[in-house]
Amino acid sequence: MTYREQIAQHIDRFPKMPPLCRSLLGYLEDPDVDFKTIRDLVQYDPGLTANVLKLANSVYFGPAQEISSLQAALVRLGTRRIFELVLSLTVSGRLVTELPGYGLAGRDLLRHSIWTAVAAQELARILQMKNVDTVFTVGLLHDLGLLLLDPFIAEERERFTHIFEDRRLPFDQAEKEVLGMDHAEAGAKILELWQLGPEIVAGVRWHHEPDGAAEFQDLIYLIHLADMLSLSEGIGTGIYGLQFNVSAEPVRALGLKKEHLEYTASKTLDKMRELENILT
Amino acid sequence: MAQLIVDIADMKFSNNPADTLITYSLGSCLGVAVYDPVLRLGGMVHCMLPLSKVDPEKAKIRPYMFVDTGMQQMLGKLYESGMRKARAVVNVAGGSQVLDNQGVFKIGERNFTVLRKILWKNGLLMNAQEVGGNKSRTVSLEVASGRFSIKSGGKTIYYDVS
Repeated sequence: MTYREQIAQHIDRFPKMPPLCRSLLGYLEDPDVDFKTIRDLVQYDPGLTANVLKLANSVYFGPAQEISSLQAALVRLGTRRIFELVLSLTVSGRLVTELPGYGLAGRDLLRHSIWTAVAAQELARILQMKNVDTVFTVGLLHDLGLLLLDPFIAEERERFTHIFEDRRLPFDQAEKEVLGMDHAEAGAKILELWQLGPEIVAGVRWHHEPDGAAEFQDLIYLIHLADMLSLSEGIGTGIYGLQFNVSAEPVRALGLKKEHLEYTASKTLDKMRELENILT
Repeated sequence: MAQLIVDIADMKFSNNPADTLITYSLGSCLGVAVYDPVLRLGGMVHCMLPLSKVDPEKAKIRPYMFVDTGMQQMLGKLYESGMRKARAVVNVAGGSQVLDNQGVFKIGERNFTVLRKILWKNGLLMNAQEVGGNKSRTVSLEVASGRFSIKSGGKTIYYDVS
């Protein structure tokens, strides 16, 4: 059996979306459901409610306009954003895991994911980009595929080391060559099964090959650049170090300057630390 | 032996011979260790970005985030503690980068350029340096001996005070 086939089997056994998220997602599709139903579903768990509010205030509102009730958050953000916050809170628990194949310690992946989410959102703000509301969520989920591929990477660790040291291949291309699939595709497959919608799936799927996407370019460009910035700053670098390609088109299309990146990095560090406390 | 972990955008210094200063996962960031072998006094800083002018507000709260303000502050603290310029041993690692032909991600290279200027202005020479490439590095400084180590890709290289 090829690695690609083995990975496909692993996808089927990968944990389903957490139950609360599944019920919430079901309601999102239903035009007859009102705020109250969603509110009651979340409020049933007081700890979760408190964290949803903390996260909403940290990600979407500033201290100047703090939102103190779930009802208010629902009105201001809508049910879709609240669902994404609940999803972020539940999935982040899974990102706190050691990944021996990739050479990541316990909190490395979580920190890398938060950094990417925050930096992508900061970049969107600095570049005054609109219609990229899912950017935080996609940033947080973009490397979910690592959880799936880690055992296979561990098995082929020597080949990866060889490809790196001798051939200097970018890591996602090394994954494709050895496993027939990179972690971006693996992550997208999980999120497809979770039925998270085409935008989130595309954001994760194309984050290392932004030119491959047919739509949602702005979102994908932001995630790609934020991910590269996160690795640049040494946040969650495993066996691959910084060996990834920066794609030319996002830099050109967004008119990205080094000042944008440096300003984003300076803003992101403290925010990452704040969110790390909320998300764990 | 106590390990003093130097976080991103932070600095630590010590004259306790039991201490080892260590900073993890340097990408484009620079880890700079400065050591006075007579006093057995060492400092280490982990700077993310070259110049504080990109975000002066942040530089007030976190001076060690930037190479210019970070180095200035660390050197100030070490001189206050009695370090002599002529004895200072400076070791540097980091400054790597992602594969980028556009040049916007050359943060590591700019960090190193700013560092060299600052060292030159201060009349300080570099001892060991391992800068650039695409690897992430972890560095440490033993306060008792001034031994500096750079670990990357499973290999560790040691630099002793000559």
